[in-house]
Amino acid sequence: MKSRGEHDPVSPPEDSEIRSWKWRLILSWIFTIPIAALMIFERIFDIVLIDMPYSVIVILALGFPVVFIFGWETIRGGLRGLFTAYFNMDSLIALGTIIAYVTGLFSFSGLVQDYSGVAAMIMAFFTTGKYVEAKARGRASQEIRKLLELGAKKCTILRGNKEVEIPIEEVKVGDLMLIKPGEKIPTDGIVVKGESSVDESMVTGESLPIDKMKGHTVIGATINQDGTLVVKVTKVGSETFLAHIIQLVEEAQGTKVPIQKLADKITSVFVPIILALAVLTFLNWWLLSGDLSRAIGVGVSVLVIACPCALGLATPTALMVGSGMGAKRGILFRKGEAIQTMKEVKTIIFDKTGTITQGKPQVTNIKSFISEKSLLEIAASLEHLSEHPIARAIVNRAALRRFANVTSFKILRGRGVEGKIGRNAIVIGNRLLMKERKINISKIIPFLEICEGEGKTTLIVARDKKVLGAIAVADAIKEDSQQAINFLHQQGYRTVMITGDNEKTARAIARQAGITEVIANVLPEEKAKKVEELQKHGMVAFIGDGINDAPALKQSNVGIAMGTGTDIAIEAGDIVLARGSLMGAVQSIALSKAIFVKIKQNLFWAFAYNTVAIPLAVAGLLHPIIAEIAMALSSISVVSNANLLRRKMI
Amino acid sequence: MKKVKILIEGMHCASCASNIERSLKKVSGVKEASVSLMLKKAMVEAEDTVTKEELEKAVARTGYRVTRVE
Repeated sequence: MKSRGEHDPVSPPEDSEIRSWKWRLILSWIFTIPIAALMIFERIFDIVLIDMPYSVIVILALGFPVVFIFGWETIRGGLRGLFTAYFNMDSLIALGTIIAYVTGLFSFSGLVQDYSGVAAMIMAFFTTGKYVEAKARGRASQEIRKLLELGAKKCTILRGNKEVEIPIEEVKVGDLMLIKPGEKIPTDGIVVKGESSVDESMVTGESLPIDKMKGHTVIGATINQDGTLVVKVTKVGSETFLAHIIQLVEEAQGTKVPIQKLADKITSVFVPIILALAVLTFLNWWLLSGDLSRAIGVGVSVLVIACPCALGLATPTALMVGSGMGAKRGILFRKGEAIQTMKEVKTIIFDKTGTITQGKPQVTNIKSFISEKSLLEIAASLEHLSEHPIARAIVNRAALRRFANVTSFKILRGRGVEGKIGRNAIVIGNRLLMKERKINISKIIPFLEICEGEGKTTLIVARDKKVLGAIAVADAIKEDSQQAINFLHQQGYRTVMITGDNEKTARAIARQAGITEVIANVLPEEKAKKVEELQKHGMVAFIGDGINDAPALKQSNVGIAMGTGTDIAIEAGDIVLARGSLMGAVQSIALSKAIFVKIKQNLFWAFAYNTVAIPLAVAGLLHPIIAEIAMALSSISVVSNANLLRRKMI
Repeated sequence: MKKVKILIEGMHCASCASNIERSLKKVSGVKEASVSLMLKKAMVEAEDTVTKEELEKAVARTGYRVTRVE
């Protein structure tokens, strides 16, 4: 028996933090409310509940646990910061509360007025602010936490004829998993038996269930719908698709958005500057007014009003909420920088195959001077020796049980294939190849022209220098490509399609998709160079599948890598789409922009708060308690504003 | 070069994160350190010679607890 808890999901760190702040909050207020009551009665209603020296003693007694017990972590952290010169937010609060508390002790001598009640109230409000902020931060990371909790805990394994339920950690590559209708697929694998549809929305954002049958890959954490599947495990643990996604999202959180740099710089020198400012303010007030008590009050206000938190939280919280929203939709931001760059992008370049089109060519037309069956037989016998997607399309269409024996087979890159069946020399390929082999293609030209005009790729089949016929293969555009490109045009983007296809085919596909600018006949290795040329006119985003266009993705200012299922080229893009749909790319662009707007708003408010509040405190216009409340509100407002990003319908 | 992930407890403000970042970067052999307040994590890129203990000490110096190093 394994001990309980070993396989329980790790409780997110936010929860323990929130709980701890909550307890400190409750206990602090139990002691602070009587202090507040005493102060309010005394100062506002002029009702003295407890006579003078005793009231200070009561406040000091009540305030002690608030500041030094419930607030101990803040005090300790703050003091350590002061002594080691790693100043932090806590240093300001610790100093502010300790000074205020100590005035209570000195008030007996008549030197200063008693501020000890203020110390407890500052700490109580600080604790309250931290609690609310921790909760809001927890909300900011909710999508990412949900992602962490998505994984299955148990798995049913077939051993011989027996079904055994084992914990997910014990599943090994090669195991056969049995997945019943409605069950979660425990880990990545390949279907070996059964048919079903699978809801993959949680990891790819694709809302429609995907049909799965023998040979298809399935993703762990997705939900099997209506059939029973037997799946052979291909990946476990940190190798799985879900684990990769989580890792990606986490890594992105650690990356910086350039706009944050200034705020970070300020944050790192903020606390020492405020400390100096508080001392100067105190001295200034003391020397000019001669009122030590007033000077202490103003100094404390300056200490507690300054809030580096709002500055520091502005970007990370917006990034957290935004990347969580993205992850839910199958959009993964790898670099925070891409979010900022995206707003400068003017041109969007699309790879054709697999990006605008489905990337799965199919035979659409056949023109044959012999029987269609014989033509396909000849073509498929040669093409099944090639790995090219177009070759695959012909082989699939022919659906042969047995291929004819082919000798001296050769792949002629970019042109076609050739080989011998028996004594007959077979050549299959494009016009260029036919010209090279001096084969007269005049009688098939009308067919070729019609097909090419429709964006189809044609292959001419010739035997012993005589044309037998031609096969047209087309890679249909994805359902939402046109909609997505339309959307981008409405937003004023320039769109360009880049492809290795010939001009005619490329134009036809571009026309269907709604793109007017086409760069055709580009070899895979030249794509990056074309991107570079387009960059002369401004920032460029490149959308591709990341398989043969990785250099182009890297060259572009924002590389958006599209994937389908488990094959995502994670390393290639700044933004990675788990779902192979162009609308996903459009969403990622819109989301980047929305996140960036939020970041700017947050930074604005954080800067504005500090530039307004600090001078007011220096001028002695804010009571320390009001200053503390304002400080707490400023960081809460930044985090809450980041959470508002969710309201954006993207 | 290696990448190290350090889980840190006790950070609750941005200046905490920037202090830890500063302290980690001072460790000789550390190329890059980035601390995420939201994830309570530090991502450190360092030479292979940098030990786990050195990094832990750098975090502890600023007053925060290391819960795990990966």
